[in-house]
Amino acid sequence: AGRAVPRAGLPLGRRGIASCLDPSTGLTEDQKEFQNVALDFAAKEMAPYMAEWDEKEIFPVETMRKAAQLGFGGIYVKPDVGGSGLSRLDTSIIFEALSTGCASTTAYMSIHNMCVWMIDTFGNEEQRRRFCPSLCSMEKFASYCLTEPGSGSDAASLLTSAQRKGDTYVLNGSKAFISGGGDTDVYVVMCRTGGPGPKGISCLVLEKGMPGLSFGKKEKKVGWNSQPTRAVIFEDCVVPVGNRLGAEGQGFSIAMQGLNGGRINIASCSLGAAHASVLLAQEHLTVRKQFGEPLANNQYLQFRLAEMATRLVAARLMVRNAARALQDGREDAAVLCSMAKLFATDECFGICNQALQMHGGYGYLKDYAVQQFVRDVRVHQILEGTNEVMRMIVARNLLQG
Amino acid sequence: QAIDDDCNQTGQLLAAMLDWPQGTFASRVQLEDGGAVRVEREVDGGLETLRLRLPAVLTADLRLNEPRYATLPNIMKAKKKPLEVIPASDLGVSGGSPRLKVLQVQEPPARAGGEKVENVAALVEKLRHSGRI
Repeated sequence: AGRAVPRAGLPLGRRGIASCLDPSTGLTEDQKEFQNVALDFAAKEMAPYMAEWDEKEIFPVETMRKAAQLGFGGIYVKPDVGGSGLSRLDTSIIFEALSTGCASTTAYMSIHNMCVWMIDTFGNEEQRRRFCPSLCSMEKFASYCLTEPGSGSDAASLLTSAQRKGDTYVLNGSKAFISGGGDTDVYVVMCRTGGPGPKGISCLVLEKGMPGLSFGKKEKKVGWNSQPTRAVIFEDCVVPVGNRLGAEGQGFSIAMQGLNGGRINIASCSLGAAHASVLLAQEHLTVRKQFGEPLANNQYLQFRLAEMATRLVAARLMVRNAARALQDGREDAAVLCSMAKLFATDECFGICNQALQMHGGYGYLKDYAVQQFVRDVRVHQILEGTNEVMRMIVARNLLQG
Repeated sequence: QAIDDDCNQTGQLLAAMLDWPQGTFASRVQLEDGGAVRVEREVDGGLETLRLRLPAVLTADLRLNEPRYATLPNIMKAKKKPLEVIPASDLGVSGGSPRLKVLQVQEPPARAGGEKVENVAALVEKLRHSGRI
């Protein structure tokens, strides 16, 4: 009943891939090196385990620490605090490559990277030196805390309060859907120190073990199972003023600037998953026979595969274009990041889903990797700003006076 | 085997010149007490294990080790590493010019089509005729 498809994200050492899909085109020699390291790491250290991590809900701490040893813990963080000092485009290339091994774990690593960057960029010297080195090495892990039960897309309406008392803030409230929550050590928390709206929000760095900081139950999810998701609860949680990043009222801006990069990273994770899925589909089409012929002889399936590849390349270009805009500090960077996130996450989910369809019944079995890519990238259309919010951002850019 | 000419001779030549023992195609190397090394070699018939007195010359088979991943910082530093060029004369080495000259490199001839024969007798006749047997 048909040979089982190799159980891996990206077949090991598969350099002889179709040239139209080659993710290394247009890259510098250095970028190709980074990409190769990341692809090798993904094939050897992640792909063989992605199913087990998903099934057993394992947070692969040791594997991520190995990745951090290669410099993947703070890719765009400055080297003086342990980061790799690379560009946003380099980062996108790396996450895209790692995601071929496990999209869920790579997505968590991208969230971690985003948090370290926020501390690196908006923290003072003391905060940078206190937090960044151990985060870059992934001796400690970080979580990004913005969403609350009552405020998702309407993030600026968040309610978690931080009352100033002497040289501390006392936090009350809760955050929802926090990736890594409960297992991570450092929490970058957006909370209200002032009046309503974005200008009343500040950014505080909390650490596990602080009195008054607790966690909800581990959520059961459709995908992203290699990262735990929990509510983060603050009950008279006392945080030193010295843990505030930037000025009071700057928190929302810090959060949004973090998300610009975060959106490129999440989109990059979708790209990697889609690429792996296209290769799996391509392999299946050549192996599986029906009506006396390999599926690959069927013109409908050939056309479908071609469409998938075309959309993947288009999405990749959108993401890399946005990465360049962000690293160059262009004015249109934020809206390009939103467009790229919207386009890539939507297209790539479609590609993964189509790849599953091409596998027929086998695609629905957990023995085959394609279903995990589908489940893992589905949430990319929702978090770090829903794709509806992405449309809001683009429309505002088009229609503003 | 050398990555350029695949000749499989440098390690062996060196051992002969130094009159040191050699362990080539090493897939496992264990240092032992008393100045010896235990070498497992990949040979055509399987694995051969030798104990060599040090100093010795070893050549590595690809099964000897798993290469480390290059780290991102090291990849970036690689371009800036100094490349020191030392003329052979500075090291007191004479006769340093290559003794091997490449005369020609060519692809093997394209595979010509085979020929079908009627029966075994015809096959034997053809093989004898072409000098194969």
